[in-house]
Amino acid sequence: MGKEKIIPVFAMILLLIGVFSSIYVHANQVNKDTININGNEYTIDEIFSLAKTKTIETDEGEKTGASLEELMSKVGVSCSSCSIYTFKAKDGYQQTVDYKTLKTGILTENSRVYFPNTAHALWVRDVIEIEVK
Amino acid sequence: MNKKKMLAGIIVFGSIWGFSEVILGSLIAEAGYPSGGLMTGFFAIPILVLTRMIFKQPGMQLGMGLIAGSLRVFNPFIGCQICSAIAIMAEAMLFEIIFYGISTDFKELKNLTMQTSIGIISAYVIFVGGYIVTQVLTPIVAGSGFYLENLIVFMPRILAAGVLPALIATITVPTILMVKKLDLSIKDRLYYSTAVGITIFCWVTVIGSWVIFS
Repeated sequence: MGKEKIIPVFAMILLLIGVFSSIYVHANQVNKDTININGNEYTIDEIFSLAKTKTIETDEGEKTGASLEELMSKVGVSCSSCSIYTFKAKDGYQQTVDYKTLKTGILTENSRVYFPNTAHALWVRDVIEIEVK
Repeated sequence: MNKKKMLAGIIVFGSIWGFSEVILGSLIAEAGYPSGGLMTGFFAIPILVLTRMIFKQPGMQLGMGLIAGSLRVFNPFIGCQICSAIAIMAEAMLFEIIFYGISTDFKELKNLTMQTSIGIISAYVIFVGGYIVTQVLTPIVAGSGFYLENLIVFMPRILAAGVLPALIATITVPTILMVKKLDLSIKDRLYYSTAVGITIFCWVTVIGSWVIFS
């Protein structure tokens, strides 16, 4: 098969992969108002009543939210310092941090986590789950 | 094509690419639009194809990627400049791989089907490849470590995001290839002075933004 056939076929395959991935992403998008932390569901109000708020300085200015360090101890994580934490967003995006990073972070009222002095990639938006391992 | 002219081409077009990614890309992202896809479809792919067509030199686009990546190190609007710089270099490398099998005079790309197809392939692969590189490097540079599981669950979204630049490239690549029919010639004296002027403008603007906004 010559280039004249391979290239259009390959282009079509890539487009189909993209289209089916789009369908998959939209079909699997999770919409919920609670955040699952360590296996239990919490509303954002419950989270803010459990943990004190704190303000951190980021390269996008000051951000205020519930202290993640305190939140983890309040939701019953037995060994905060020896666990790793995966923040999962409703669009499937997820990032994992260790305790050293977690203890500097906050969870805001619009369900976004921030950590000072880290790449923005770790600032997961629309968090629906915090998995503790 | 003499080497001096090609080197000037690498620097000026690499600077334009880096400048557009840093300044324009950041403005588009700030406005809430998918800047990565729009920049790849409207700027990266056209500029890569255009320079390949004009200079007919394999390897040149990798050099442009190194220049554009160097400019991205001075991007004040993102969190991981190094990751972003490496990602753009990876995009240039992927372009070189895709166009390795295409002759420098683009004789295979004579009809619209081939032009749109190569547009789709190059834009999709380059965008998805750059996206994956960023996803791998950012957590490593951030110090939190790379977790393969995080990338795997996010892959459908990355693959889906590649559709936008691919569709844009179905228009931009044939448009750029139409330029081939025009006789674009420029006198050497004008070529070098224009190249120097554009390069200085790009670097001063980006580094100036970095100084002001960092």
